[in-house]
Order: sequence, then structure tokens, then C-alpha cells
Amino acid sequence: MGDILQHLWQLSYDSKTVDILRNTKYAIPMIQSFHLFGITLLLGGMVILNLRLTGFGLQELSMNSLGRQVWKWSVGGLLIAMASGTLVFVPDPARYAANYAFRTKMVLLCAAALFQFTVYRRAIRSQGAGARSRANTLVGCLSLTLWFSVGWAGRAIAFLG
Amino acid sequence: MYVVELCHWLQNTPFATGLRQSDLLFPLIEGSHILALSVSVGLIITLDLRLLRLALCGEPVSRVMHQVMPWALPGFAVMFVTGLLLFVAQAEKVYTNTFFRYKVLFLVIAGFNALYYQMKFYPKMAEWDLAPAIPAGAKLTAAISLVLWAAIIALGRTMAYEL
Repeated sequence: MGDILQHLWQLSYDSKTVDILRNTKYAIPMIQSFHLFGITLLLGGMVILNLRLTGFGLQELSMNSLGRQVWKWSVGGLLIAMASGTLVFVPDPARYAANYAFRTKMVLLCAAALFQFTVYRRAIRSQGAGARSRANTLVGCLSLTLWFSVGWAGRAIAFLG
Repeated sequence: MYVVELCHWLQNTPFATGLRQSDLLFPLIEGSHILALSVSVGLIITLDLRLLRLALCGEPVSRVMHQVMPWALPGFAVMFVTGLLLFVAQAEKVYTNTFFRYKVLFLVIAGFNALYYQMKFYPKMAEWDLAPAIPAGAKLTAAISLVLWAAIIALGRTMAYEL
């Protein structure tokens, strides 16, 4: 498995398309800007949805419309972040793969996404989603914790080299 | 130039030097500045999307605004304080950074854009709150806000590469 990945990283590093990304002056900053914009959409939506779900705020907005419409924009943000994140990764895969913050981020991202599309989606679309309950507060806090952990791990990549 | 000298002095104060060289504090402040985007700009985006009728059309605009703003304002306060600390820590380099200058310019324009909405459209919101036809001017301020914030995020991200 390690050998195959190593080979993949090398292929990616050597590719001509990826070479353009690496060597064009503002390519990576521009892609990173999209990444950050995607994150803002994703986390902004998660903050709104979870303020409502946990019962901490936004109680006058309908859970039903938030759950369908803010959800859509959030998932859109996630897709933008993942697409742009991939483009940041491919020019220098070996460096990222060796970075512990990056590895942690990928594990947390998988956990957050898994939670988001299973337990969380069911919770915000259930009959009792609009009511205050301990279960809703728990699900909301867990979702926020997971997504913000992904964000912090992502920020840590730069500081771990 | 006088301001450059002032920035030079500022970033060499013990406070700024300590901040810049801290292995823990600096990353924490920078991370907070970035992640608080979600509690500030992220919430404004939802309000803009509502004004453009791209989300939450079943809710009156004023209700979305009144529910979201009490959370967005503290979010912007965190952005401002962390941003100020980041500036102080690297004042000279940041001040002379072209991307930073455009960022500040766009922030000022975004401020005036919000102020314009507040003065022109906010007082009469109840009249068109749930109407399918939102005043064109109000929609325009929402679109301008979205474009400005996207640009501000991009400029903020890009300026970090030149520090």
C-alpha cells in the first residue's frame, strides 16, 4: 500500500499539468482562496444550522427550510473546498502525505463527512428537529466540533512545515 | 515615510515581537481569524442569499436579518481583534503589502455598502419582506456584498504568501 501511494505521489509530482500549478506564481494562492471561500460557505452553513439545532439561537427560523436550503449551500461549500484542496495537494503530494496535521485532517474530514451524511442529515430532517432536545443539542455540538477540528487541523498543516 | 516608520516601531515593540515569535499564540490568533470567517462572513452570505432569493425564501428577510445579526456582529468583532493583532505582529510587512491595501479598501467599501443598505432599505423592509419582488437596489447591495467578501477572502489569503 505504501509503495503504491509513493508511486502515485511521484506520478502526480512529475505530471506536466501539475507542474503548471506548481510554477505559476499565483496559482496556489488562487486555489487556496477558493479553498477558504468553500470553507466559509461550509462552516457558515454549519454554524447557522447548528445554532438552530442545538437550541442556542435562530429559534424563529424554520428548521425545515434551514435543513434543506442552508444544507445545500453548505454541501456546495464542501465540494468547492474538496476540489480546490485536491488541487493544492497534487503538486506536492509527498510533502502533504508526510505531514501529521494533514493526515489528522483527512481522518477528521472523513469522520465529519460520514457523520454529516448519516446521523446528522437524519437528525435535521426528523420530525423533532425543530424542538429543543438533549439529543439535538448533542448532535449539533458534535457536528460543530468535527467541522471546526477539520479547520484547525488544516491550519496546522502550514505550521508543521 | 512616516507611517512606515510608525509600523516599524510598532512591530518592534516587545508586545508585537512576542506575538510574532510565539509558537502557540500566533498560530492560534491566525487560526481564529480564519475560522471566525464562518461566524461573520458565513452568516452575511446567508443573508445576501436570502435577499437574492437563493435561499430561505419562506422566511421574511427582516426575520433572517434579526436572527443572524446578533451572531454575526460578535463574529466580526473577533475578526477585527484577531486581524488587528496579526497586523501589529507584522506591521511593516503588512502595511507595505499591496494585497493588504486592496483588502482594506474593499473592507471599507463593504462597510459603506452595508451602511447604504441600512439607511436606504432597512427602514422600509416590512413593506417587501415576503414579496417575491425585492427592490432591485437591495438585491444589488446583496450581490455587491457577496462579490466584495469573496474578493476580501482571496486578498487576505493571497497577502499571507507575500509576508
